[in-house]
Amino acid sequence: MLQEILAFITLGIAVVFLFKKFFFKRKKSDKNCGDDCNCH
Amino acid sequence: MSKQNINVALIGNPNTGKTSVFNALTGLKQQVGNYPGITVEKKMGFCKLSNTIDANILDLPGTYSLNASSADENVVIELLLNKNDKLYPDVIVVVSEVENLKRNLLLFTQIKDLEIPTILVINMIDRMDYKGISLDIPYLESHLNTKIALVSSRKNIGIDSFKKLITTYKTLSTAPCLNASSIDEDYFDTLRKTFPNQSLYKLWLVITQDVNFVDLHRKSLKNNSFTKTDSELKRLQQKETIKRYQFINEILKVGQKVNSATAKDFRSKLDRILTHKVWGYLIFFFILFGIFQSIFEWSKIPMDYIDRTFANLSSLANNTLPPGAFTNLIAQGIIPGIGGILIFIPQITFLFLFISILEESGYMSRVVFLMDKIMRKFGLSGKSIVPLISGTACAIPAIMATRNIENWKERLITILVTPFTTCSARLPVYAIIIGLVIPDQFVFGFLNLQGLTLMFLYLLGFAMAIFSAYILHKVLKLNCKTFFVVEMPNYKLPLLKNVVINVIEKTKAFVFGAGKIILSIAVILWFLATNGPTHKFSDADTIITSKNENFGLNKTDLNSKIASYKLENSYIGIMGKSIEPAISPLGYDWKIGIAIISSFAAREVFVGTLATIYSVGGSDNEDTIKNKMASEVHPETGKKIFNFASGISLLLFYAFAMQCASTLAVTKKETNSWKWPLGQLVFMSGFAYIVALLAYQILK
Amino acid sequence: MKTTIASLKKGESAIIKDFDADIIPLKLLEMGCLPGNLVKLLQIAPFGDPLYLDINGSHLAIRIETAREIEIESIIK
Repeated sequence: MLQEILAFITLGIAVVFLFKKFFFKRKKSDKNCGDDCNCH
Repeated sequence: MSKQNINVALIGNPNTGKTSVFNALTGLKQQVGNYPGITVEKKMGFCKLSNTIDANILDLPGTYSLNASSADENVVIELLLNKNDKLYPDVIVVVSEVENLKRNLLLFTQIKDLEIPTILVINMIDRMDYKGISLDIPYLESHLNTKIALVSSRKNIGIDSFKKLITTYKTLSTAPCLNASSIDEDYFDTLRKTFPNQSLYKLWLVITQDVNFVDLHRKSLKNNSFTKTDSELKRLQQKETIKRYQFINEILKVGQKVNSATAKDFRSKLDRILTHKVWGYLIFFFILFGIFQSIFEWSKIPMDYIDRTFANLSSLANNTLPPGAFTNLIAQGIIPGIGGILIFIPQITFLFLFISILEESGYMSRVVFLMDKIMRKFGLSGKSIVPLISGTACAIPAIMATRNIENWKERLITILVTPFTTCSARLPVYAIIIGLVIPDQFVFGFLNLQGLTLMFLYLLGFAMAIFSAYILHKVLKLNCKTFFVVEMPNYKLPLLKNVVINVIEKTKAFVFGAGKIILSIAVILWFLATNGPTHKFSDADTIITSKNENFGLNKTDLNSKIASYKLENSYIGIMGKSIEPAISPLGYDWKIGIAIISSFAAREVFVGTLATIYSVGGSDNEDTIKNKMASEVHPETGKKIFNFASGISLLLFYAFAMQCASTLAVTKKETNSWKWPLGQLVFMSGFAYIVALLAYQILK
Repeated sequence: MKTTIASLKKGESAIIKDFDADIIPLKLLEMGCLPGNLVKLLQIAPFGDPLYLDINGSHLAIRIETAREIEIESIIK
């Protein structure tokens, strides 16, 4: 029983980590370059 | 007495040894952004200056001037002009170098005009005698309104007195060098009247650059009709540059003596060979060839060792921990997962080692010079060589390294084709598949066939990058003014400390960045492989036992039959089976299909995924991943899963497919549009599928 | 025809005379490419382009089309 709880906690950490990593990236103001030539 | 914490910003032209000064101050107490890349992201370090003062040292990207011409240089300006930034420096250190003092001082005079306390570091003083240069320091200090630290970060000279100098930052003069209004009297007069509280040079920067600040917004200037046409602004910036050089020349006339008679020239001899029309290319090719052969040869032993160690650890955990779900997770999910990360360390270390030696020595600029004309035929720039080579480490820093390509079209094409180069994440996949399907033989007695195959795959990646660049060059209609300026730094023996710190930082970034993703996926995969939705999964024992009652199987065979039946009916098995029709023409089974899908988080996950699937599916944990893969056979035909045809097909698929979510994200960021990353995804993966399909159908 | 950096031969030096400010990138100016400064052609890349120059002590490479825009005078062999 304890084994299963531990296993599911690990799963939870893994899922939350991946979710955060790929879906909740902090958005910084991107203003590097446009589609034109005026990116310098 | 309480400790004081100050912010110190290091700034300087590229190739002044700024990074070595940073390393000398901070040692290994550094933090870099998530992704490796040479001083592209904000790089912070910590240094104890005295018993009462600690410093946060910020290493800013190398820049020639405050007139930003690239995204990198924008970072510098935004930080230096924003008093509200928590990194806003208490003192700025401008790193210059004895041989190019005149040019380095241009940036210094600009920084000085920001009216922040500034120290001038003159680096590489150990070369002064050799180059016949002598400096009048008191004269320079009084005329530049600053304090000067003479150091040699290479020989570790003067670092202590430099640290002491930083602690006196409060006593430094903040008087500007150049009176900004002398650029255009009338214009600056009106500016001063409208914004009496702002520094003139700061206003000037805001007008000429595309940057905004909390207390000073570009729009507010626009409304006051301070804007001029681009051409007028450029003329004023030129005037500014000329004025600055006049000022510098006046000072150096007295403050610097150069005895050119004693200057010896080693550089021109080496240049003649390295940029020679025959030798230059040959040397470049042999350097690349040597790098790839040694990566494969040298990392084989540590890789095998790591692979075996983790197989042993797995069985150890299984035998000693109390049985249960968590133990299984550790033995079959977590340990193989960690093994799947650590196994790449040898190769990544070697790769970064070579790349940082090439960059540090100054050789990379010669390659840029050598290749520019050829690369331009394909719509690329000579500078694209740097991203294409550093792309062999990772496409992410490589794409960020395109920022110094001045021409937007050349830059865009470089960004789009860089992911074709063989990144270090493909390496473990290649290594294991080559190990399985290519015989370990020597041709001509010294060339390892496996090493040659690897070399070929690298060349294939480059060739594909160049070929697609050519197509893009013909298809994309963008008219951009071209210009190209590349500094040719003096040759330097790479400094061991810099190389080592660089390699450690990047390996660490990989282990803790990609490593966490790989491990998380391994854990999730394990759950998906050990649970199933239907009774077929939970009743696997009884179903298989009753099916095989009459065959008289021994216990081991029966257990492995049960395990593989369970795997087929687990969540992951069902997912894999559902995509099998799409990938079986390529010669893959559903297990490889799962590994390919999970590769989208990071390619390296491929090996780890197969390790997890085979650990769950097999009954013994002691075997290595490679042996497990080698013994895997097709359940119906009985043929080996990893045979020559499917192996080649897999290698080609991995060579061409766009399978890296992080690369797509960075392409989006650098091009500011979803159009380009989507194009990469569709074109690269589609092409990979077709090539892999053809290869398998022809070879099988 | 104007005499420009592009007309230099390997190993020759000259004084920069003038250029069209709109065409020459600011970065080049900042690296020391200004009227009155000395320029020396050190190397020419295979296929004749780019040019490896020593301008006012800065070692740098530029493409030939940029070099054609920079007028020079008093060539020293």
